[in-house]
Amino acid sequence: MEIFGQPGFAVVQGLVAGVLTGGIYALIALGIVIINKASGVFNFAHGYMMLLGALIFWTFFQNQELTPVVAFALSGALLTILSTGIRYPAAWTRSGRVAFIAAAWATVGFILLQTDNLFLRALVGTALGAALVGLLIERLTIRPLIGQPLFATVMMTLVVGEVLLGVTQLTWGSVDRSLPIFATVNALGLPQAYPPIRIRDVLGGTVVIKTELLIAFGIAVAAFVGFVLFFRYTRLGLSMRATAENADLAQAVGLRVRAVLATAWAIASVLAALAATLYSSSTALSITMPGLALRVFPAVLLGGIESISGAFVGGIVIGVAEKLGTVYFGSDVGEQLIPFVVLMIVLIVRPSGLFGEERIERV
Amino acid sequence: MSANIRPSGVFDTSYAQEMRINRTRFDQILSAGFLGVILALPLLSRSGPFGIDLVQPGFLGTVERIAILMIAVQGLNLLVGYTGQITLGQAAFMAVGAYGTAILMRHGVTFWFALPIAALFTGLVGLIFGLPSLRVKGFYLAMATLAAQFIIPWLLRNPLAPLTNGASPLPVPRADLFGLEISGLPLYYLLIILSLLAMIAARNIIRTRTGRAFVSIRDNDVAAELLGINVFAYKLRAFFICAIYAGLAGGLMAIEARSLSPDRFDLRNSIELLAMLIVGGTGFPQAPIFGVSLLTILRETFIPSLTPSLQEWLPRLLPFVDSVNINAAIAPIIFGAVLIAFLIIEPRGLAYRWEILKISWKIRPFSH
Repeated sequence: MEIFGQPGFAVVQGLVAGVLTGGIYALIALGIVIINKASGVFNFAHGYMMLLGALIFWTFFQNQELTPVVAFALSGALLTILSTGIRYPAAWTRSGRVAFIAAAWATVGFILLQTDNLFLRALVGTALGAALVGLLIERLTIRPLIGQPLFATVMMTLVVGEVLLGVTQLTWGSVDRSLPIFATVNALGLPQAYPPIRIRDVLGGTVVIKTELLIAFGIAVAAFVGFVLFFRYTRLGLSMRATAENADLAQAVGLRVRAVLATAWAIASVLAALAATLYSSSTALSITMPGLALRVFPAVLLGGIESISGAFVGGIVIGVAEKLGTVYFGSDVGEQLIPFVVLMIVLIVRPSGLFGEERIERV
Repeated sequence: MSANIRPSGVFDTSYAQEMRINRTRFDQILSAGFLGVILALPLLSRSGPFGIDLVQPGFLGTVERIAILMIAVQGLNLLVGYTGQITLGQAAFMAVGAYGTAILMRHGVTFWFALPIAALFTGLVGLIFGLPSLRVKGFYLAMATLAAQFIIPWLLRNPLAPLTNGASPLPVPRADLFGLEISGLPLYYLLIILSLLAMIAARNIIRTRTGRAFVSIRDNDVAAELLGINVFAYKLRAFFICAIYAGLAGGLMAIEARSLSPDRFDLRNSIELLAMLIVGGTGFPQAPIFGVSLLTILRETFIPSLTPSLQEWLPRLLPFVDSVNINAAIAPIIFGAVLIAFLIIEPRGLAYRWEILKISWKIRPFSH
């Protein structure tokens, strides 16, 4: 059976692969939306934050001893975050807080130094490293620009991307790497990918789905739901939304706006690292990763740049459009052209996106 | 972005003086002297008539590229600095001009026709991607031009590959004037003169009705509309002029480099052009001179001279660094650091600092 001149099973496969990839796109888009919601900055450096995050994950995932210096520095970062960023229960005394911080510090340092459970070590190390990257970017480059025109912030995130690219090239070079996190170990002790899922006799053919992609999709959706709940129910999430609504008013009612802005960048950076790691688990971790974020920008605009649910819808739509475009016109059209054509259409037809807010202007 | 700061005691006595390109005697002497030095540079190099080996031949190439990029950045200045629209697609427009010139020349059209035709065509392409400015502005417009930055190189790589050689380099024939090949010294002077003309033209546009309309759109587009300015028409005009400048720069780049590939016109090149504008001083007519000179000399002279010593001691200082990677990594880091410093410390750029310098010189010893 054929659908518009292509075999039906290929179209179904494209559709499924599109939805699964779209889940990861949604995660990338969520990071961009969070930063935009909190600080009103569109983060063009997101792709480079993804690259850096995935490379940090790769470094921890390698089966080698970590130098105590790195472990110490990272857990020191945790210490800083914990001691300044968290609102402790009022009942805790000063010594209680110190004990809590010290315990967290010791635990993390211990996890980072052991090599038995590489996955756990990589998770903890990446979360810390990526959060640190986000905090540094916010503090050093974005916060000094508060009050500057839009052009300056756009330019700043673009340039931060350049610097991050330089840093990754300096540290990791530009070789492709594999990141087999969803894999079993075969008889030779080498990682072996899970066999792909095959669904036979779908519209005249076999649909093949990469298992890694399916797992990645599951994790992406879970993380997405987690963040939606976080923004709806937790104190920090609510104060982030309040700050996004009106930073002056939020400060006036006693919310810690600076901490909120910093947290938004840290969370977005961790999300970027997570999405990049999931994406490279099914393909490879390559230096072209920032191009992926550029293809997600249309998804952000399609959903509306203030909308979290829009990020999900936009991600899925762009993922499906890309994969179906690849089925029908080849990958150069599907991946390099279609997202930007969608972008142009969105900008001409409905610039505020599907779920975004329309803006009214006065003199 | 006010370009009209003046030292105390300097004022215009007539409308003609107000409208002049160089308003004071000092400005006149300085620009004439600057131009004289630039024009004299090749005479002091090894290939000059006097045989003095004062200027490296490589530096002449750098000056040529500065002259070319100055045109592209001046176009950006008209659109970003004066009209207040953001564009991330200037490199893509340069690609249209470069490939247009190259393809016409490869089909036997003389350079002197190919360049203006390609520049005009680039202007039309700029109009197409300026169309979203009817509905969107600010950040959304930046996104629309970002789409241009991807769609145009895609067209060059894939559907137009029979004409453009796709992703592989496209050789460009030499330009000639009445049978005389233009290369070496004549090329240098041609580029300097065209760049100078483009600068003067931009200065001229700014002091006409069109230029004033641009500035009013930048300052407040809603108010400009209420004043009776056709905002959309003037925005499109700004996009058109900006793209023509980009096309001109691209065409000149084609005959200077003699070989084109789509990689030279990607997003990072657009960012670099914007960076040059910011370092120079957005909305100042001299911005391209300062910004392009500084960043191009940084990239072509300073960073290569720094690299060997970095390869020597950086791996010793940071044990995780492989000296193989330094070459590719150092340029983005230094470039980014310079720009971050400018954005935070002096977002108004070098041209603004230059005006301040002139003021404090005039009123010395009472500097402020």
